Parts: sequence; structure tokens; C-alpha cells
Amino acid sequence: MAKRVAIIASNGGLEAAYKVLNIATAAAATDAEVGIFFTFEGLSIIHKQSETMLKLRPENEHFSEGFKRANVPTVSELLEIAQDSGVKMIACQMTVDVMGLSKDDFIDGIEVGGAVAFLDFAYDADVSVTF
Amino acid sequence: MTQQLVNLTIDCKGLSCPMPIVKTKKAIDQVSPGQVLEVLATDPGSVADIKSWATRTGHQFIGTTKDGNVFKHYIRRTDPNEVRPESRHADVISNEELQALLSQNPVILDVREPMEYTFGHIPGAKHVPLGQLEEELESLRNFADQVIHVVCRSGNRSDTACQILSEHGFPHVKNVVPGMSEWTFDLEQSQS
Repeated sequence: MAKRVAIIASNGGLEAAYKVLNIATAAAATDAEVGIFFTFEGLSIIHKQSETMLKLRPENEHFSEGFKRANVPTVSELLEIAQDSGVKMIACQMTVDVMGLSKDDFIDGIEVGGAVAFLDFAYDADVSVTF
Repeated sequence: MTQQLVNLTIDCKGLSCPMPIVKTKKAIDQVSPGQVLEVLATDPGSVADIKSWATRTGHQFIGTTKDGNVFKHYIRRTDPNEVRPESRHADVISNEELQALLSQNPVILDVREPMEYTFGHIPGAKHVPLGQLEEELESLRNFADQVIHVVCRSGNRSDTACQILSEHGFPHVKNVVPGMSEWTFDLEQSQS
């Protein structure tokens, strides 16, 4: 029986994007069923303009060299891997509305849904994490 | 006879977590059940990650070697048929009973894949992978009047091998159970 991993992504920034997507892609590669609920600043991870929106925090800017040295995949590469491996991505309807966004502002393949849509998935999760 | 140790090699050198795992997952689907995947990686985290990944996904982690700063991980794709063989060879011997016989130089036939054998086998064990057993029967004919102890990882491939040998006129064949997965005694490694 496959494990199920439920992730809440509620923060923006490059750090948060990597935390969320590394766990999600590793879990999917380990045959887990993975769902991510993006809310508030976490929405920037799946925004079409994520590349310009996701920055390292000023105190972490020196990490950028390390990211290159460690040959870390880009956020869009990780998103593609996540989608290819069946990771379910839900954008929080309420925060999408509050921030004046629409489904078209996000990459293809995501759903916009309410908290219950995510909870329905998360109730049966074996692991849940929040970033 | 040339034996292929590795059926597919993927290069994850220079990649950091989670890419070695992501690529391993894709690659395992490209080999057939029973075949061996080699993963080359420089990420030190891959040593623990690949092992956990294999355990979690039900594939067999064979081992890791290190060559300079490159880790070579070996994984065997699990054959679903290994889990439920239809009939059983009746004559079995336990790991402990076989261990007690070792001083008498018993005939031991290891039918695992070459890479599994290379990482550790019972001292003195002969090696013929299950897939090549039928073509190698004649080379084993000299041992037909002795007891042949057949071993694999979990007792399933060796069970099939016992049945093949019995059908081809080897009257004294015993399946070693459970086999190498629980072998706690001495091991011999092949020089590759």
C-alpha cells in the first residue's frame, strides 16, 4: 500500500520552494502519493513568474554560489519532475481570491481548491508536513 | 561465457538530492525484473538515500562501492514472481545445517545474479545465475551423484533451480532456506 504525503506550502522565497519540492519529488520517487496545498506566499512557488518572485532571503544570498556548486536543479525543473511523477498540486482558493489572482496566473496542471479539497487528501495521509 | 554484471548504468555524478533518487526511480522502470541497475553518484547523501529508497520501494539493494569520489550503487529490480512460486521443491536444508557441513566441502550452487554473488557468497560456492542454469546443466553433470545445495537470496529462485535440476536427472538436490538474505556466517567476495 503506497504511503501518502500531504504538504502545506505557506511561505515564499527560494528556500521554501526547495524545501517543499525536494520533499515532494523524493516522496514521489519513493512511490508515495503526494499532494501539496499552496497558500499565501507559498502560491509564488507555482506562479508562472516564480523565477522572478522567488528570491533568497538577504541573509542567505551567499547560498547562491552553493546552489550552483551543488548543481541543484532549478525550481521549474523540480516542478516539472513533480508533475511528471504525479504530485497533486492545489492552490488555495481563498488566498488566490484575496491576492487578486486567478488560475491563469499559475503553471498548467494545478487545481484551485478549498481547504476541504486538501483535507480530503490529507485525512488519509501517513505523513504531513508544513513549510 | 561472459556474464553481464550490470544491465543498465545511470550517471548521477554531480547531482544533488533529490535528483539521484528521482533518476533511479525512472531507471528502475527501464530494466526487467531480476536485472541489475548501477547508479553512479557523487552526492554522499545518496549512500543512505539509495538504500532506503530500495527498501521502501521493494527493490533489492545489493550494495555500494566507492571509486575515488564516485559511489556506485547496485540495485536489483524485484521480480514479482519471486514472491509467490507455484510449487515447492520438498527437500530443503537450513542455513545453519549447511553451515555445519561446510568443513566437508559440500557442493553449493549459488543461482543469484553475478552482482549479488560478487558482493558476497558462501565460501566455495559455484555460481550459475538462474537464467543460465539450463544451458549450464552439462557442466554440473559431474556433481550429479553428490548432494547439490542450491542457494539464492530468499529461497525462491533456488527453489525454481532445484526443480529444474530434479527434472534433468539430478537426484540429490536441496534448497537452502532462507538463503543469503539471512546468512550470518562467513562470506567470500569475488575479485572483480
